[in-house]
Formats: sequence, structure tokens, C-alpha cells
Amino acid sequence: MKIHLHRFGLLPIGCALGLALAQPVAAVTDEEFNALKDVVGKQGQRMDQLEQTHQQDQKTHEQDQQTIQKLQQQVGETQQIATNAIQKAEAAQVQPVHPIPPGPASTHNFMVVGDAEVQFGKVQGQHSAFAMADFAPIFLFRANDNVLFEAGFDVTLQNGSQPGGGSSTHVDLSFAQLDYLFNDYITFVGGDILLPLGTYSERTAGWLNKIPDDPLARDFVPGSGIGMQLRGAVPIGQSGQSLTYAVFGVNGPSSLDTNGLASNLDLGGNVGDTGNWHSNPSGGGRIGWFFPWKPHYDVELGVSGQSGEWDNAGSHLWSAAVLDAAVHISPFFEVKGEFINSWYGTDDSGNVHARGGWVQAGYKLAGLDLDYPVINNLELVSRYDRVDDGLGTRTDRCTLGYVYYFSNTLLFEGDYEFVHSRGPAALPSNEFVFQLSYGF
Amino acid sequence: MNSLRSLKPRLQGGILLATILALACAMSIGIVLADDAKAPAAKPLPPPPPAPEKTSATKPEKPALKKVTGAELYQIHCNRCHPERYATEWNSGEWKTLMTHMRVRANLPPAQAKQILKYLQEDSGN
Repeated sequence: MKIHLHRFGLLPIGCALGLALAQPVAAVTDEEFNALKDVVGKQGQRMDQLEQTHQQDQKTHEQDQQTIQKLQQQVGETQQIATNAIQKAEAAQVQPVHPIPPGPASTHNFMVVGDAEVQFGKVQGQHSAFAMADFAPIFLFRANDNVLFEAGFDVTLQNGSQPGGGSSTHVDLSFAQLDYLFNDYITFVGGDILLPLGTYSERTAGWLNKIPDDPLARDFVPGSGIGMQLRGAVPIGQSGQSLTYAVFGVNGPSSLDTNGLASNLDLGGNVGDTGNWHSNPSGGGRIGWFFPWKPHYDVELGVSGQSGEWDNAGSHLWSAAVLDAAVHISPFFEVKGEFINSWYGTDDSGNVHARGGWVQAGYKLAGLDLDYPVINNLELVSRYDRVDDGLGTRTDRCTLGYVYYFSNTLLFEGDYEFVHSRGPAALPSNEFVFQLSYGF
Repeated sequence: MNSLRSLKPRLQGGILLATILALACAMSIGIVLADDAKAPAAKPLPPPPPAPEKTSATKPEKPALKKVTGAELYQIHCNRCHPERYATEWNSGEWKTLMTHMRVRANLPPAQAKQILKYLQEDSGN
């Protein structure tokens, strides 16, 4: 019984303790409960988001797996193709007779450059006609780093060149020379060489000239001659400036009919069908100075000459002196010209002094910076010629014209020439000349 | 008198040529001035660096001369005689042949010809 009493005594104590311990639980407020509820709710949302992300990752993974399988299949196919190609190549391979030597692929090269022209003209008082067709290839063969063979031909059909009409076809050798680059300052040139009397023959003739006709005064000096030449250039500073020189010895002018009559002077340098009977060759040279102060802005001055016997007896000298100048100011404007003097003794006309000059200017309308493509492709050109052949014929010629650049190699030139000529060998009247030129 | 008469046409010719040359020079000057006028205004120069202290041992240094590049030499030389050709028109070996030809024809200094060749070969065709 005592025991039960004890038990009953402990019951209130336990209740009191229970109440005391339960008192803090009963102290949670509604706000705290709601906050806890919010936290639990947010965690639930995050769980949902994570579950969605996981599902998306699974989908991506499955797609990647499919892509990898496709790529593996493609790699397998490529490997199969490569294997087949190797097998075919091995089957088709022929063993070389000699091993391929090491080093550069080639030391020499052959190529053809040049130009072609078609000319249409009308002389005042005559019918218009296609006056000339010209194909002028230049063959270049570089044997090695120091040796170059070059030869230029002119295949020309000249309309109306025969008395009473008709045309004639000519195949002429313009030049055929061997160039040997001896060192940095000396180049040897031998053969039928272009003569550095002025710069026209070497650098302006053909399609490079902006006016179809040659300057009249060029008739007083030969364009080429058979012989040898040493030439070179010495740079001054590092801005592109240089001094140039050329010294040559060639057969020189000769007589068409062995005697020393003025009308028999042949400046062709015996390239044609006449003999060369005078004993001494003629010699000459040129010294030039080129000064660029920036790209497209430069001046070049040169003085050149040639002298030697021309008649068979060797009793008459033919001599020439040429001053040449060229100025470029901007990519659009240039002026160039030559002043030529020549003297030769004759049996019938004494000492003949043939002389003349020409000045040519060109301006590309692209320099006006207009937004018209047709205008931008045009260059206006003009030239004044004056010659006195020393035998009573004097000629003044003023040429006005244009060059239209279809491209950098296809040019269409048109000119009107005002000619005033008097004397026994006077030139025809004014004329139109149009020329289509292609450089290749 | 006869000698004076023979001089007259020569004198006229000389005067005519001189007039044309003078006109050409006048045009040149005009174009140069117009070109300069077209050129954009010069940017203001940065402040000069502090002057080095002058001593008896140091000499004033000359400004280094500008060395032209292959591209500039191409512009300087090639366009003097013909329209510029594109580097892609020929391959590397053909350019070598052409530059050998042009070195002789235009009497180019070899070092300059080599610079032009290098410039053209860099963008040459196949």
C-alpha cells in the first residue's frame, strides 16, 4: 500500500514537470509558424525546379548520346573511305625511276608578254579605214637567276600601204637580246638591243604610249641596233633615288645604197637586208638621274647620245644627242618629253642637222574625285611635236586625245592630230586616230 | 640678214617649246598646291620630349632616313611607264622572270627590284 501511495505521490510531480516542460512548445507564435511554413513551401518549390532541371539534363544527355553515336558512325565511314583511298593510291603508285632532287621546284621559266593593237583612222579628205592591226609578243626565257633571253616581234598588217591601195603584212624583230646580270652594278646586254637614246624606245613605245602615233622626232634616232651594252644603276640613299648609266657599241646607221647621199641614211642599224660595210661601229650611252620624293611624285632627267660612221667609205659621221625628262605629280598627272638633235655628213647635202622635240602631258580625271565611273576611267592626253629634218621639211603637230581604261590592260585611245607640215617631205593633213590596245 | 632669217623659225620654235614647258610647270604647281589643299589637316603634334642635356661629349643625332618598302617601290617605279599590274596576275616564278626583265629595261637598282619582287610574290597567283 505504501508503494501505491508513493506512486500516487509521484503523479502530480510528473504532471507539474510535464507542464513546466511543455510550456515553451506552447510559446510558438503564429508568425513563427507561418514563417516556417513559408520556408518549407519554398524548399518544396526548389525541389520541383531541381526535378525539372534534372529531367531536362536527362533529355540533353540522351540527345548528346545520339549525336555521339552519329559522329562515331561518320568517323567510321570516313576511316573506311580513307582506307580505301590509301589502298587505291598504293595500288596505283609507280615507283619513280630517279629520286626527286631536293631544292626549289624550278630555276628557269618561260613566258610570253606583249601587246596587241587595232587602229582606225581618218585623214582629212580621205576615207576612213581600219589602218593597222598589230600583234607584238615578247618572249622571255629566264635561264637562271642571272640570265634572261628576251625577244620582241611585231606582226603588223598595214592597210593602204601599197601604191594604189591594198595592204601589206610585216613580221619584224623589234629586239632580241641576252641579259646577263653580272653583279649589282653591271648588267651585260648583247644582241639586237634596244638603244637607250632617250627613254621612248625602251619604256614608252607600243601600248605603253598614251597616243597611238610615235613622236615625230623619234624618226631621227634608231630604236635598236646590233651590238653590246653595259648598263646599271647606283642607288642613292634608301628612298628610291638612283643614278643610271648605259654604254653601248652597235653597228649603227648605214647606207641603203652604199654611197653617202642624204636620202640613203638607214637608221635601222643593219637589222634589215642591207650590208654593213663601214669599218667602225658606233658608240653611245646615257646617264640618268631619278629622284622620287614620295610614291607617284618623281622627276627623271637623262642625257644620251650616239656617234659613228654611216656611209660605206666611212667618210661621214652620224651623231645624235637626246635630252629626256619626265615628271610625275600625284598618281594622276605626268609630263614627259625629249629634245633630239642629230647631225650627219652627206655627199650631196653637206652637213644635215635634223632636230626636233616633243612634250606630252596626261591627266587622269580620277584625280577630280568625282563619283562617276566613266569619268574616273578617262585620262586626257596632249602632245606637241616639232621637227625639222634638215632637208627643208618642217612639221608642227598638236595632238589632243584621251585614253579610256576598260581595265589596267585594255585601253581605248582616241586622238585628233592638227598637222602643219611644209617642205618636200610634208606630212598629210589633220587626222583622227582611234586605237584599241591590250597589254598582256 | 640671211642668218637672222634662218634664226627666226628656230627662235619661234624655241619660244613655243618654252611656252609649253612653262604651261606644264604651271599646271604641275597648281596640281601640287591643290593636292596639298586636299590633304587632311595635320594632327596636332604631341608635346616635344624633354631636350637631352647638352654635353660636350654627345653630338646631336640626325633623324633616321626613312627606308621605302617594297609596296612603295612598286608604286614609285611601276606606274611611271604603265598601268599597275596586280600581283595575282602571275605566279611567283613568272614574277621573278618579269622583274628580271623590268630590272634591265627600266635600269632598276637590284636591291629595289628584289624588294618589289618580294612584295609581288607575297600575293602572287598560283
